[in-house]
Amino acid sequence: MSTLFEIVRPSYLLFPALIGTLIMGLVCPLVGSYLVLRRTVFLGLTLPEIAAAGVAFTFWLQELGLLPQLGQSERGLAMLGSLVFTFLGMGLLGYLEQRSKGLAEGRLAVAYAFAGGLTILFMVFNPAGQIEVLNLLRGEVIALSRGELQLLAVVFGAVFLTMLIFRREFLLTSFDRDLAFLLKGHQVIWDVLLYLLAGLLIALGVIMAGPLLIFGFLVLPALAARPLVNRMSSFLILASVFGMVMAFFGFYSSVRLDLPLGPTDVTVGCCLIFLAYGVRRLSVKSVAATVLVLFATAFITCCSMVTPSTPVPEAKAVRSDRVWLAKVKNSTGLPLLLPSTNPLRSAGEMIGKVSSDYRQNVMDLLRDNLRQELQQSGYRVTLPEDTDARFPPFPADTNAALQLGRDGKLSGLVFVSEIWRWEGYPQQFVRVFVDFKLVRLEDGAVLWDRRVQRAVPTPSSTHLGQAYTDAIRAVVHEIFG
Amino acid sequence: MKLERDVDGKKSARERGSKDESLPLVSLQNVDLGYDSTPVVRNVSLAIYPGGLIGLAGPNGSGKTTLFRAILGLLPILDGSLSRNCPLSAFGYVPQSAALDSQFPLSASEVVEMGAYGRVHSYQFLPPEEKDRRTEVLDQVGLPHLARRSFFSLSGGQKQRMLIARALMVNPKIMILDEPLSGVDEESRKSITDLLRNLTREKELAVFFSSHDLEMVQRVADSIVRVDKGKLWLEEGKARLQP
Repeated sequence: MSTLFEIVRPSYLLFPALIGTLIMGLVCPLVGSYLVLRRTVFLGLTLPEIAAAGVAFTFWLQELGLLPQLGQSERGLAMLGSLVFTFLGMGLLGYLEQRSKGLAEGRLAVAYAFAGGLTILFMVFNPAGQIEVLNLLRGEVIALSRGELQLLAVVFGAVFLTMLIFRREFLLTSFDRDLAFLLKGHQVIWDVLLYLLAGLLIALGVIMAGPLLIFGFLVLPALAARPLVNRMSSFLILASVFGMVMAFFGFYSSVRLDLPLGPTDVTVGCCLIFLAYGVRRLSVKSVAATVLVLFATAFITCCSMVTPSTPVPEAKAVRSDRVWLAKVKNSTGLPLLLPSTNPLRSAGEMIGKVSSDYRQNVMDLLRDNLRQELQQSGYRVTLPEDTDARFPPFPADTNAALQLGRDGKLSGLVFVSEIWRWEGYPQQFVRVFVDFKLVRLEDGAVLWDRRVQRAVPTPSSTHLGQAYTDAIRAVVHEIFG
Repeated sequence: MKLERDVDGKKSARERGSKDESLPLVSLQNVDLGYDSTPVVRNVSLAIYPGGLIGLAGPNGSGKTTLFRAILGLLPILDGSLSRNCPLSAFGYVPQSAALDSQFPLSASEVVEMGAYGRVHSYQFLPPEEKDRRTEVLDQVGLPHLARRSFFSLSGGQKQRMLIARALMVNPKIMILDEPLSGVDEESRKSITDLLRNLTREKELAVFFSSHDLEMVQRVADSIVRVDKGKLWLEEGKARLQP
C-alpha cells in the first residue's frame, strides 16, 4: 500500500513515467478501437515495426556521417526517423490498398516481416550504435523526462481532441462508407486523418514506450471493452478507462514486483480481456460482489506486506564483532562494469600500474562501501577469500549461503548481498533490486535482512559511472540507517 | 461520353432540395454500368419521379445493386448520362443489413441517429430537434421500444425497419432499398411493405426497392422494373423508361 501511495505523489521520482503511461492508456485505445472495429488490428503491429526500422535507419545514417551527431538529442533524431518511416509506410500501404487486389492481411504481414528484417540489418550495418538503437527500441517509458512528458502530453492531447471532435465522422466512415459518402461526401479524408493520428501516436509512442507497449495500448483495452458494451460511446469511454487501468496497475505491479514496465502492462491488458469475457457471463450482483472481494483482498494483502525497515544491527547488539563479508553476487546477467572516466586511472593503465583488463564493477564498489559501514558499526570485517581464494560470491538464499559457509569451514556471521537488477539512467536514476542478509552460520538464524527495490535518484550524475557510484552510496546509507 | 451531374449544381447541392417537381428526381439515359470497364447492365434509360413505389426485380447477380450504387454516385457510370434533381444528401439509402459489420457495438438509436450526421456539426452534441426527429421516425417504423437495444441483436425484420428509420432521419426525397425483404419473416415483410406504401402516399417520397422475388415485387410495387442478362426494362407502372 505504501508503494501505491508513493507512486501517485508528484514528487515521486517515476511520476513523469506514471503520467506518461496514463496519457498513453487514455488516448491510444481511442484510435485502437477503430483499428479493432475496422479489423485492421495488424496495422497496429506493423506500423510500430516500421517505426523501429526508421529508428535503426536514422542511426545508421548517422554512423555513415550523413546525419549530424546530436549527443543528448538522440531521442529527437530517433523520433524523426520513426515519424518519416511510419508515414512513408502508411502511404505505401494506403497506395497498395487502393491498387492491389491481394489480401490486406498479406500486405501487412509482408510489411511487418520486411520492417523487422530491415531493423536487424540496419543494426548489423551499425555495430557501434547497436546498444543505443536497442535501448530506444526497447522504449523504456520509465526513463521519461519531464520535457518528453510535455511533448507526449501535447501530441497525445491533440490526438485526443481530434478523436473527440470528429467522432461521428470516424464512426460513420468506419461503419457505413456508403452513407458517409451520401452525407459527408468523399470519406477518404477521414481515413487519412484516422491513419495520420494512428501514425503520430505510434511514431512517438515507439520511442517513448517501445513497439510492444504501444501495440498493447492500441488494441488490448478495446478488445477488453468490446464484450461489455452495446453502445459506441460507452465502448470508447470504457476502452479508455481500461487503458488507464492497464497503465496504472501495470505501473504499480512493475514498481512493486520490480518487473519491466512494457511486458507488465501488456500482461495486465491481457488479464483485463479474460476478466471482461468472464464478467460478461456473470450477473450484475455477482460482478459487484467479485469487485468488492477483489478490492478487499488487494487492500488486506497490500497492508500486510508493509514491513518495518530496520538498519543493520550494531556488533554489540548481535553479541559478535566478527563478520565475514561475502563477495556480492551478481544475478542480473550483466557485467555491471563502471565506465572509467578517471584520467588518473587511464594514466595508471598507460604506465602499467593498473591492469587495463581490470575494470571496477558495481559489486566491488558496493562491497567496499559495505565494508566501511560495517566497520563503523563495530564489526571486525574479514573476507572469505582471505582464507581461501576459491570462495565464490554468496547467494541471498539462506540455505545456499549456509551450505557455502559450512563447506568453507567458516563460523560466526556472514553478510551476503545479491543484486537482481541494476539499471542506470544518467542524470535521472538507477533502478536497483538488491537483497542483503546477515546470517549466523552456527544455527542458520537470519539476524537481519533487507530488500532494497526502488529507483534511486541520481540527478547530479553526468555519466553512468557516477550514477552507479551515487546509487551505491545511497543504498548502503539506507540499509545502515 | 460519360456524364453525371446534379441538376442543382455542385456548390449548393447538399443544401437545396428539388427545384422543379415536374423534373424526375433521377434520370439515366443510355447508361452502361459495371466494374473495371466491364459492363454488367447496358443501355439503361430510366426516370424516377416523386410519389412512386418502384420495384426492381431480377435474379441474384443481375445488376440490381450495381444500378443502385450508380444512382447513389457510389459507382461511376461507364457510359451515357445520369442526372439527379436533388442532392445526394436527400437520398435515403437502406443497405442490406447483412452488409453491415456486427463487430460494431451500436445501439439501435445510435444507428438511427447516423441519418442526422449530415446536418449536425462535428463539435455539436445531437440537438433536441434531432432527438425529436429520431423519436418520430422510430414511431413511424413502429419500434420506439427497441431504441436502446443492441442493433445487431435485433431480428432481420427489426434491423431492416431500423435502417428504414435511419434513411427517414435523412429527410429524404427518394429512398433506395437494397433487398429490404430478404431474410425477413412474413409478419415483418408485411409491416415493411405497409410502411413503404405509406411513405409514398403520405410523404410523397419516391421509393425504389429491389428484390429477387418477382412475385413479391408484383404484389407490392406500383411500377416494376426488370433487370436480367445485362438488360433493363419496364414491365408495368408509372416509372418512365426514357427514350
